[in-house]
Amino acid sequence: MNVDIESRPLAIARWLRRRAENVSALLLLAMFLCFILQIVTRYVFNYPLGWTDEVSVLCWIWCTLWGAAFVLRERDEVRFDIIYSSASDKTRCIFTVVTGIAAIVLFGIALPAVVSYVTFLKVERSAYLGIRLDYLYAIYVVFSVAVIVRYAVLTWRAIRGHPPDIQIGSGSAL
Amino acid sequence: MTNPFGLCVCAIIGLGLLGLPIGYSMIAGSILYLLLAGLDLGTSAEQILNGLYNSYVLLAVPLFLFSAELMNVSNMTDQLLRFCDMLVGRFRGGLGHINIVQSIIFAGMSGSAIADLAATGRISIDMMTRNGRYPLSYAAAITAASAVIGPIIPPSIPMVLYALISDASVGYLFLGGVIPGLLMALAQMAINTIMAHRHNFPVEQPIPLREWPAITLTAVPALLMPVILLGGIYGGVMTPTEAAAVAAAYALLVAVLWYRNVSLRDAYVATLNSSRATASIGMLIAGALIFNYVVTIEQVPQTVRGLLAGYELSPMMFLLWVNVILLVLGCLLEGSTIILVILPIFIPTAKALGIDLVHFGVVAVFNIMIGLVTPPYGLLLFIISAISGAPLHAIIRDTMPFVIAMIVALAIITFVPDTVLWLPRLLGYKG
Repeated sequence: MNVDIESRPLAIARWLRRRAENVSALLLLAMFLCFILQIVTRYVFNYPLGWTDEVSVLCWIWCTLWGAAFVLRERDEVRFDIIYSSASDKTRCIFTVVTGIAAIVLFGIALPAVVSYVTFLKVERSAYLGIRLDYLYAIYVVFSVAVIVRYAVLTWRAIRGHPPDIQIGSGSAL
Repeated sequence: MTNPFGLCVCAIIGLGLLGLPIGYSMIAGSILYLLLAGLDLGTSAEQILNGLYNSYVLLAVPLFLFSAELMNVSNMTDQLLRFCDMLVGRFRGGLGHINIVQSIIFAGMSGSAIADLAATGRISIDMMTRNGRYPLSYAAAITAASAVIGPIIPPSIPMVLYALISDASVGYLFLGGVIPGLLMALAQMAINTIMAHRHNFPVEQPIPLREWPAITLTAVPALLMPVILLGGIYGGVMTPTEAAAVAAAYALLVAVLWYRNVSLRDAYVATLNSSRATASIGMLIAGALIFNYVVTIEQVPQTVRGLLAGYELSPMMFLLWVNVILLVLGCLLEGSTIILVILPIFIPTAKALGIDLVHFGVVAVFNIMIGLVTPPYGLLLFIISAISGAPLHAIIRDTMPFVIAMIVALAIITFVPDTVLWLPRLLGYKG
């Protein structure tokens, strides 16, 4: 019985994560295609497009913040893991609770100011496409909320004795 | 430096040590600073968003990651090995040399040591340890050490990061890395030769001359990549960021048309992996953007410059000290963090001392990349241990001679700036 009740939300969460991954991959692909289009139109047709620059930069911002909000797993993050990985499970739980609460509090305190900064941008528009900046930058609010929710979940799980599993040395792009 | 700044740094270090991802630690610590200093907390969002928006050069990072992923799924490693065998297999310790030459070729295709290691690691180690010809730990050590060449020879992700913080030209930084990268390879081959004679490692059967053309042909697509990249950038045809996109397009074409072993599924996984790595490095950059804003308000680089001015350091002494500090930090910290957070503190001093920023950048990146194989925190050591199954301590022991050789090479490029600057100047650099 229990398994059924628990597995349904889990299945939904997994489905959502896969969709989030689709979006993330699409953003990268869009960035890549914009560049190719830009190069081809500039050098082959001698007709430079302005909007490709803008779209590719926006894809980069969204790919980063969307990915950090919904796609990255704990083991994908760049962290200093020497101490954490050599600690016992109990110590890891304590570490997670401390860092989790700090992250929730600090991102939480900043959230109202972040929201008001982004909504203030409704008067501005992007240079080429003329899209309202508050729409484009709203991803930062989404990211902030996702960080708070994620660390709330991790902290709650750590309190119940399940520290997040990390993989030493992962996440670097070097 | 005021109190809020001290607390901000303590919070970042404290949270980081306890395992909060470094990007989040820097954002959280900077929010604390803004709060204590009575500044608008919305500045955190403003700095990060505008910083990401204005860092056009950084778009090269995801694109280089993407091209490396595409190269990896195309499985060209096998074909390249035979080409390398043809070149250096007949010398004593041949397979070790093959390993290093292959790393040079991969270095010209990708900008990441980790991507190079992921592409070649297992195959190189299997090849070297077959029939017990080389000890497993030595095979692992030389594979990890030679992967360090990857981000020194262009393209290079860490040099793009350095260009962001220093405003040096990516194109000239790339050129500046060519000779140091080859020097690093030479230093490693010297160690391999010494080891091969000491332990009597085998030589490979020479490949008959009539097979050379066919073998060379299989390697052509891989060998063309650096030519296209560098030719495009220095021919004035493309910006380095556009070159990164062309590299990815080229990798895709080569994988699909030449090697013909890429499925749609592979292509999706490659895209997803690179978007994930993009988010991961992007968060680090976001953290560095807001933290560097705080550092600028507090005028930390100027303070450091003032402090160092008191010691009347000569440029060479300054470079020596920076190298020592970076080598120590490289043992403890992930490299892109050092580039994005620590290097900005030194750059104003380097400028004031008249040190060329391309030279400084190549030296710093070279140094920080050695940190990828120095314990206790050497990313490539962890990865190669996981790939090969050799115990970490044995790999570390066998990597040490290579580390020493690379430090000698580092000393040469530090104190003979022409090793770095000759090639960029040849192609028009006015530094």
